[in-house]
Amino acid sequence: MAAPEVHHLFHNPIADHSFSADHATLAVARDSSVELYSKAGNAFKLADVLKGHDKTVTSVDIAPNSGRIVSCSQDRNALVWEPSPTGYKPTLVLLRISRAATFVRWSPSETKFAVGSGDRVIAVCYFEEENDWWVSKHLKKPIRSTITSVAWHPNSVLLAAGSTDAHARVLSAFVKGVDERPEPGVWGERLPFNTICGEYLNNSAGWVHSVAFSPSGNALAFAAHDSSVTVVYPSGPEQPPKAVLSIPTQLLPFKSLLWKAEDEIIAAGYDCEAFRFQGGEGGWQLVGTVESKGHAGAGEQREESALNMFRQMDLKGKVKDNTQLKTIHQNTISTIRPYEVSGGKVTKFSSSGVDGRVVIWDA
Amino acid sequence: MSIIQQHTAATLGDAWRTVNIDILNEDSSVNFDTSTLHPPQPEISEADVRNLSTQVRQLLRGGDAEGALRGCLETPVYNGVDAAKEAHLQTIIEVLQSIKASDMTPLLKGIYASPGGSELLDVLMKYIYKGMAVGAPATTGLKSPVKMTPQSTGFSQIGSRPGASNEPASAAMSVLLSWHEKLVEVAGLGCIGRTMTDWRRV
Repeated sequence: MAAPEVHHLFHNPIADHSFSADHATLAVARDSSVELYSKAGNAFKLADVLKGHDKTVTSVDIAPNSGRIVSCSQDRNALVWEPSPTGYKPTLVLLRISRAATFVRWSPSETKFAVGSGDRVIAVCYFEEENDWWVSKHLKKPIRSTITSVAWHPNSVLLAAGSTDAHARVLSAFVKGVDERPEPGVWGERLPFNTICGEYLNNSAGWVHSVAFSPSGNALAFAAHDSSVTVVYPSGPEQPPKAVLSIPTQLLPFKSLLWKAEDEIIAAGYDCEAFRFQGGEGGWQLVGTVESKGHAGAGEQREESALNMFRQMDLKGKVKDNTQLKTIHQNTISTIRPYEVSGGKVTKFSSSGVDGRVVIWDA
Repeated sequence: MSIIQQHTAATLGDAWRTVNIDILNEDSSVNFDTSTLHPPQPEISEADVRNLSTQVRQLLRGGDAEGALRGCLETPVYNGVDAAKEAHLQTIIEVLQSIKASDMTPLLKGIYASPGGSELLDVLMKYIYKGMAVGAPATTGLKSPVKMTPQSTGFSQIGSRPGASNEPASAAMSVLLSWHEKLVEVAGLGCIGRTMTDWRRV
């Protein structure tokens, strides 16, 4: 197993990161701007800074095919950055929300994106040709609190959303004229806009930090602030789910999760490292960490000279400097994303966190 | 893109920051009952708690400490009158006090490994924090419960502080502290997180 590729970009928190499809460009949300890094050799060098928001940028996403970047911010706006020969050109999106925008993701079809907000709505945005303008429709009905994350179903119609009212929901974001009528599936048959296909919460009902559909789209996983991951298997439209499996852990809560395959989930968060869950409809369990700490981690086991040892004892009252965590990330991991997918399985994933590092891991 | 283009006395002052705009919004969380977001819990009466308490004492006399502890933890009083909640806390503290320190870890490990065990230990953690918050549980007995903030902050300034003047209370506190330590060793920090997050209060 190859060692993870670590890029320490700066000493600021990274709210969100996104790689372009060719992995040559990396967009990270830093303070009130989006920074674009391009690959030069083995490192990422700052190439461009997209300035347009005037408050903290909360989320950024690059559409893999069109190369468009969407960003959203606490200034209640979302911007679509169109690549052009002279650089990226921003277009403002009419979100019509009165609180911070918290999370944004392109649909797999790349014709729409969903913006979660603190205004108890999800704005589903699409391009209106006749007006040459990005407009939005609001998913509003059952949401009682801030949306913390959204995730698209592979069919680009269904949307999962996690909220601070402790619910993970599956809603229809079908936009007439933009989407093709979806095939009926386990979540529902007729799916007009704002159909509620499912509302789930786990026993202790913590804030939901992250949601994700399985690769087939037939199962949903969410991570909540009660340090658990919950997997939902729906049985069919308007019926109670086949199984809702909650996996409480001994760890700190997870901020982000992804499906490696139908039978494996990777989640990371306040423990500063990623963990692996395996299972299926019969049950899930935590199997261990992704990071192997057996390797001689970053020279921490260096031979100490006697002089150095006594100096440390004199200065700090102890021999070892143990301010470093044993994990690669030195602070909370805020986002993990698939990096490389082959044969329907995530083979590599990337993580970014409060410590300003972006790390690419073998899944 | 800032909306405020010109500063006036009103915008430069910070009085507007304290306006509670949530009240003006009918969809806001302050304007609806948040308990409707969760499925209701079955109500447990004081008589039920007393019955359970008798059964648990029998198990304790019979030497089945694990059975006694399980019995308490399987029926937490989430929904009930304050007296019932208080009585259940007393039962649990009694059980905890009757278990030897050397038996704590194997017992907790046994419960954790069993199906649904993690949930039981979360309940135990809730009662440990509740016990700590009440202050002097061993002496006050069934005194009316001290009014506290609904959040389980784990520590309350209200009520008597454990101290040398209050021997049984500090004994109960030290029992709770050592259970807390052993419980975190077994169920991890996740257990504390769940106790703080959980909307089902004991």
